[in-house]
Amino acid sequence: MSDAILDVQGLVGGYGKMTILNGTSFSVPAGSITTVIGPNGAGKSTVFKAIFGLLKLREGKVVFKGRDVTGLSQRELLNAGICYVPQGRNIFPELSVRDNIQLGAVVARDIADLPARIEAALDKFPVLRKKATQQASTLSGGEQKQLEVVRGLLLNPQLVLIDEPSIGLSPLMVQQTFNILKELRDRGVSILMIEQNARSALEISDYGIVLELGQTRLVDKADRVLNDPRIGQLFLGGAMTETAA
Amino acid sequence: MSNLLDLLVAGLATGAIYALVAVGFTLLWQTSQTINFAQGEFVMLPAFLMLAVMHAGAPFWLAIILGILLSLLLLGLGFKLLLVDPMLRHGVLPLAIATMALAIGMKEAVKQFFSAEASPFPSIVPAGDVSILGRVISLQSLGVLALAIAVVIGLTLLLNRTSIGHQMQATAQNPTVARIIGVPVERMILLTFLINAFLVALASLLITPIYLAKFSSGEVLGQAAFIAAIVGGFNQVRGAIAGGLLIGVVDNLAAAYVSTQYRAAVPMVLLIVIILFRPQGLLGRPEERTV
Repeated sequence: MSDAILDVQGLVGGYGKMTILNGTSFSVPAGSITTVIGPNGAGKSTVFKAIFGLLKLREGKVVFKGRDVTGLSQRELLNAGICYVPQGRNIFPELSVRDNIQLGAVVARDIADLPARIEAALDKFPVLRKKATQQASTLSGGEQKQLEVVRGLLLNPQLVLIDEPSIGLSPLMVQQTFNILKELRDRGVSILMIEQNARSALEISDYGIVLELGQTRLVDKADRVLNDPRIGQLFLGGAMTETAA
Repeated sequence: MSNLLDLLVAGLATGAIYALVAVGFTLLWQTSQTINFAQGEFVMLPAFLMLAVMHAGAPFWLAIILGILLSLLLLGLGFKLLLVDPMLRHGVLPLAIATMALAIGMKEAVKQFFSAEASPFPSIVPAGDVSILGRVISLQSLGVLALAIAVVIGLTLLLNRTSIGHQMQATAQNPTVARIIGVPVERMILLTFLINAFLVALASLLITPIYLAKFSSGEVLGQAAFIAAIVGGFNQVRGAIAGGLLIGVVDNLAAAYVSTQYRAAVPMVLLIVIILFRPQGLLGRPEERTV
């Protein structure tokens, strides 16, 4: 795919002797929301770690905007324009909300307009502005996710890797978080998301990727993945390969 | 009866020194799970480094500078690279035990290569008394207190008001996420070790004129700092400061009003009470660990 912002080619790797990724390959079209789904243990989060240089790969390549970024440091990846929002709580509980956000720009070289960017971000998220001087631990789960997204966006990334943004959030907050992602996509940011909540995630996505046992099983338009009869089966415990064969 | 004000000031002065040592102690714990049981010996050594430089003929000011630089090198960089990094891989406990071994090694080395006797050490604060509100207070105590407070304030400002400080706190509070957003975690950890080395060197410079330079002086100091850190809250810098001041004052008042023999027991009693009734310390937050 020529308009791919990210190309993942034949990743092999895992933890210790355990292999999680068995030649995972896919590409992420630029300016889209792409959702990775798959059963537990499929290697979804591991792929993200591999892309973001947090997992030593035995084989394979990660290509971002045509450049091989395999094994780069997190600082280099951030500067290249990739940002990663992992699963769960990713804040610094005892720093203020504002200080938490500000830390999103530690790798930035041009600090000049940083205060303006932070103000702009706080304007977009009134809850965060209201609590800007409070300890981040006082935020609710949804507010913490917002903080993480805002922090990640300070560097104006072109690709956002976001892992299970809906986990632990109320349905309303899930909708809000998804709306933020849609807005980002409309501004031209590419988003690669992992979601357990496959149906609602695919509904807002452009593309869907199905992972199983560390391999890519299906890459298609989101609506087609959503309506693929094999998907239900996959999530109900059946192996997709059997049905596909 | 002793002069209560003077006792308080003297207590706060030693307490401020304990606080310096305790702050370094908690910083090491927070950023790299290092429980440094050699922290007392870390305070003992810089004075000897400075004395050695002076014996070589250098003036006091130069000895101070070289002593601090040597501390940064040995107790900061060397400690991290040669002991903490290799041992931490095996767990928190093996590292803690290794620091106990280091403490014994440092003590014996100083006894062997320097002297088993206590040596006098010059004070950077001139001797004498000042009169405040009609009370006579030792200039030494006041000077120590002022210097220690200045350093603590400086450190607090560094931690809370600067980007480097925020990055250090981020590293302590959530190293995985810190790395993900681009904080140079390794460099921040090293910086913590250097700050600790600076703090112990300074504490050494301030306390040795009072207690003399002796190979065994780290035992008392390490214990005081350890108690201060636990009493204040093991995971909080401000807790360590409060704990240090409290131990200093309690210790001094106990010596004057209870008994000199039992003065060392009083902080211990305080420690037991705190552990029983408020295990997270006065200002600490409870820590959860998944097993």
